[in-house]
Amino acid sequence: MTLTLLAQGIVKRYGGVIAVKDGHLEVQSGVVVTLVGANGSGKSTLSKVITGVVAPNEGQLLLNGVPVQFPTPQAAKKRGIAAVYQELSLIPDMTVAENIWLTNEPLLGGISLRRGEMRRKTQELLDLFAGTTSNNLTPDTLVNTLPPDERQIVEILKAISSQPRLVIFDEATASLDRSQVDRLFELIRQWKREGMAIVLITHRMDEIFRVADRVTVMRNGQTVGTVNAADTTDREIVQMMIEGAAAPDAGRMPQIDTTAPVRLEVRGLRCGRLQRADLTLRDGELLGLGGLQGQGQTELLLALFGALPYAGTVILGGKPVRFRHPRDAMKHGVAFVPGDRATEGLLLSRSILENFLLPSWQRYGIIHDVESARQDATTAARDLSLVYSTLDAPASSLSGGNAQKVVIGKWLLRRPKLLLLNDPTKGVDVGAKAEFYALLRQLTAQGTAVLFYSSDDDELLGLCNRVLVLQDGLVRDELSGERLTRENLVAASMGTTHEQR
Amino acid sequence: MNLSSVSTGIQRSFPFVRHLTPPLIALLLAVLLFFAGGLVKPNFVNINQATNIVRLAAFLGIIAAGQTLVIISGGEGIDLSVGAIVTLAAMLTFRYTNGNNGLIWWGFVLSCGAGLAVGFVNGLGIALLRIPPLVMTLGMTGVVQGTILVVTQGEMLGAAPPLMAKWIARPLVFGLPGVIFIWLALGVLMWLLLNRTTYGKHLFAIGTNRTAARLSGVRVQQVVMITYMLSGLLAGFGGFILLGFSQTVFLQLGNNYLFPSIAAVVVGGTLLTGGMGSYWGTMSGALVLTLIDSLLRAMELEQAYQLIIVGIILLALITVYGRQRSLRQ
Amino acid sequence: MNSVRLQHFLTRNTYLFSLLLLAILLSVNYSLQDNLFELRVLNNSMRTLLPLILLAVGQSVVVIGGGIDLSVGTMVSMLVAVLVKLINAESSAADIALAVLAACGVGIVAGSLNGLAVSYLRLQPIVTTYATSFIFSGVALLLLPRPGGQIPTELRRFYAQTPYGVPLSFYVIGVLLLLWTLIRSTRYAQYLFATGSHSQAAYTSGVPVRVVRFSTYVWAGFFAGLAATALTFSTGSGQANIGDNMTLDSIVAVVLGGTRLSGGKGGIAGAIIGVMILRVIRNVIFFADVPTWSQTLVNALIIIAALAGPGLFGLVRRMVKK
Repeated sequence: MTLTLLAQGIVKRYGGVIAVKDGHLEVQSGVVVTLVGANGSGKSTLSKVITGVVAPNEGQLLLNGVPVQFPTPQAAKKRGIAAVYQELSLIPDMTVAENIWLTNEPLLGGISLRRGEMRRKTQELLDLFAGTTSNNLTPDTLVNTLPPDERQIVEILKAISSQPRLVIFDEATASLDRSQVDRLFELIRQWKREGMAIVLITHRMDEIFRVADRVTVMRNGQTVGTVNAADTTDREIVQMMIEGAAAPDAGRMPQIDTTAPVRLEVRGLRCGRLQRADLTLRDGELLGLGGLQGQGQTELLLALFGALPYAGTVILGGKPVRFRHPRDAMKHGVAFVPGDRATEGLLLSRSILENFLLPSWQRYGIIHDVESARQDATTAARDLSLVYSTLDAPASSLSGGNAQKVVIGKWLLRRPKLLLLNDPTKGVDVGAKAEFYALLRQLTAQGTAVLFYSSDDDELLGLCNRVLVLQDGLVRDELSGERLTRENLVAASMGTTHEQR
Repeated sequence: MNLSSVSTGIQRSFPFVRHLTPPLIALLLAVLLFFAGGLVKPNFVNINQATNIVRLAAFLGIIAAGQTLVIISGGEGIDLSVGAIVTLAAMLTFRYTNGNNGLIWWGFVLSCGAGLAVGFVNGLGIALLRIPPLVMTLGMTGVVQGTILVVTQGEMLGAAPPLMAKWIARPLVFGLPGVIFIWLALGVLMWLLLNRTTYGKHLFAIGTNRTAARLSGVRVQQVVMITYMLSGLLAGFGGFILLGFSQTVFLQLGNNYLFPSIAAVVVGGTLLTGGMGSYWGTMSGALVLTLIDSLLRAMELEQAYQLIIVGIILLALITVYGRQRSLRQ
Repeated sequence: MNSVRLQHFLTRNTYLFSLLLLAILLSVNYSLQDNLFELRVLNNSMRTLLPLILLAVGQSVVVIGGGIDLSVGTMVSMLVAVLVKLINAESSAADIALAVLAACGVGIVAGSLNGLAVSYLRLQPIVTTYATSFIFSGVALLLLPRPGGQIPTELRRFYAQTPYGVPLSFYVIGVLLLLWTLIRSTRYAQYLFATGSHSQAAYTSGVPVRVVRFSTYVWAGFFAGLAATALTFSTGSGQANIGDNMTLDSIVAVVLGGTRLSGGKGGIAGAIIGVMILRVIRNVIFFADVPTWSQTLVNALIIIAALAGPGLFGLVRRMVKK
């Protein structure tokens, strides 16, 4: 049975803020549509309207030409519409099988759960990703013990388990590693052949061309157009996304001064998944950390910031140090920008001012000198060309890119000597990325040493002079100069050092 | 949506009340209730009655100060031991001073010190052993009550120093009792603490998002410890002050203030989930609760009806601004 | 058993630590009181324990669903008042059955009030149920301004039965555990645990979160009815505040039984064990000749220690990791 879903004229307001002002989306059975747009362009909200999570203020949904309303996610699910969220819908204290079949459990006599059946059917689903996941991923594993990539896979399988006719993937590839993404795309092609309608929301340009039939672009809450993937280029899509402005070119950092003093030296650092890391970082250098997600990069950064216990030697500015709390690291001029703004970076309901000054309040006296604090925050906001209403507005009122500026800005007020970045541009739009790169350039020029993990290979290749590639908790390769190529980066992240001199 | 759905609702319908925050609503409600009292009982509205209500509210307000901090700190923060600490502090002062004016300061130190010690144990259990605050402080209530029994052996011996009554409960300046000035001073101190100190900023930070706070260099467990210690200390201080009014000590003395202290914080617009709130909201909340109580007493209703009406009013108040976020966005 | 299965088992059976604690306390108790397991003594203790057990079972359903109910104690007071009003010394079995049905019915109505406020008006459970507890106290006082009431002596004898040499309470507990096992294998249980563990995710997954939350308070009201029944049958009379102090005990029992206070983890077996732990601690203190005025303190210290147990374990584990 084929399906055509058409969303038109969708409007969604949150108080005075308009999230979507004119959303359109059309998708049919056997078609893959990618929905792209800069951060805050409304694509997530639009997709949530379709799946019944968000109630629209205006507009209508037509299912096979008939107007429908989905007051709840269940209602959409009943009509064969499912969604894959970013870890949004899993119950941490339940097993993989229980999660996948939640609200859809196989029952005996309509009452009693058939656990054996659930387990068996779950194993069948898990087999779809066989070879790309760890042995720990079984039907009986508790979800709260899984790493992010495997949780995302469970999320995908959960959506698929109800055999939906339309599936929306909301940035479902963001936390998957390369082999998992490859497998997912194989599966998507297969599901498409079987007649499923698929909407893929993504920030990664290459993914668009790998699977999409059509590309629908959103900008500022409006759908600005739909093009056939075969007839377009990434440049054209970027143009549609950012309205006229040229696609930014990251531009590598200038060659670093090899005589500059060593800021950071790490010897045999071990922490959780990270088995061993050795590195040297000079003042004014931007050192990249690459590799697939979850190979120990985050652990390395958190350990250096004193947020995770570790073993090994860390020498900072020539002196051995051992940080037991982020506060210790901060006292030594270390700053850390987390990847997830909402859960790790910001106090969303507190003011922008308080977010800026959170690490620095001590310096304004026992009874704070509020005027000078406010001045400092104003200066920081200006330096970052932050777009905001007032400093007293809650951080939640900022758009994605501006919110990330506040996360970085709170450290700039402390003039860090070593800046640790954990995938800071994840989910940040093109324009904000360009500003962020300019900021990094300015910081390194001032002598700040930067350790920069990115899940975006283009970013590492475009920005860094030297990249350490981690795989399975080990530094697999160090790429610089001639050897810093995409091929080598990919090879090292897959665990094979590609000799090509 | 987070702060208060109703205040945004009201703002939408009446744009001129843009600044109507929950504490202000509570304060307006208190004034309204006071004059409503005049309708029920004509002699309710007079300056003596007003003074008396503020005086009664002051005791509740002082006892609820620590509760405000604990609730702002989030992590399901709540302190059920304040009632027992109030009794303990009052008992210690009662017993130790034995009516001797010269020992008042020592009674004060003893009260605050005992409260601080209980708060320290609460903090240890909550921050270090990760026992949920509700059960930890409930358990400590038992410990404190047990300690009171061990110390007193069932006999409340002692006396309240006469000077305490004079300074705290009886008219001091302009016919106003000292406790009102103490309460106002505490209000200023609490405002400074919450809005002008690093501790205050860190408190709001851990109440909002503990991970983000930690990654910004806030020592979360330390702030939690300090918060429960302050709560104990303030409850101890509250017990000391209360003795000046009650003049006598009994086992349930502080217990009557426990849940009202939580209700005052909530009615004052502080979020039970943490990260948002103010002490002046709690002060307004204490006034509202005391007024309701006085009004019902003035109406001379049967106790059963009083209880039912208090319950309904409390429900109505939290319906006005205690609502949580909807799951559907 | 492989590690995944073991982990699974431990997560499902959160009461194991409590069971161990109960066993230890019981053996201490037995060494001090050698008639502990004599039928008469056991029956007496269990009979007075059953009301709190029933109440804690209801409380644990609420807590698992992510809420808390501070009104259950006053609800018991109110429902005892209802029962005492409807039963007198000459009541027939049918009258009594009707009275019990009425008490459970009123309990369900009272629980629905809590459920409506928490689930549909989205009010904070702690303050909401605190507020409704006033209403229930008020109604209790209206119904029963003065302590009193009488029940047929046959009824008291019925409640003190020990069929096949086992106290009646154990049959009740057995039925409860059996029912729980059955419920645990239904979709409702999946919804209950999902709601308590992560309500937003549950909602997004299509779990009717509001209905589930509402239902937990209805359960609490129903169990308050059963608790009031057990209390009335054992005391034979009532007063308007007879159950007020049971609220906090029910919460402590639930937590002592290994149920997570923030929801999504636990079970009724834990609550039953928790109530027994509370009682055995009291027994131990009594028979260990702890001086009268120190008993409250010792009791509270043991409870704190029991609460701290899992925490200490976690602390040591965190220290070792570092």
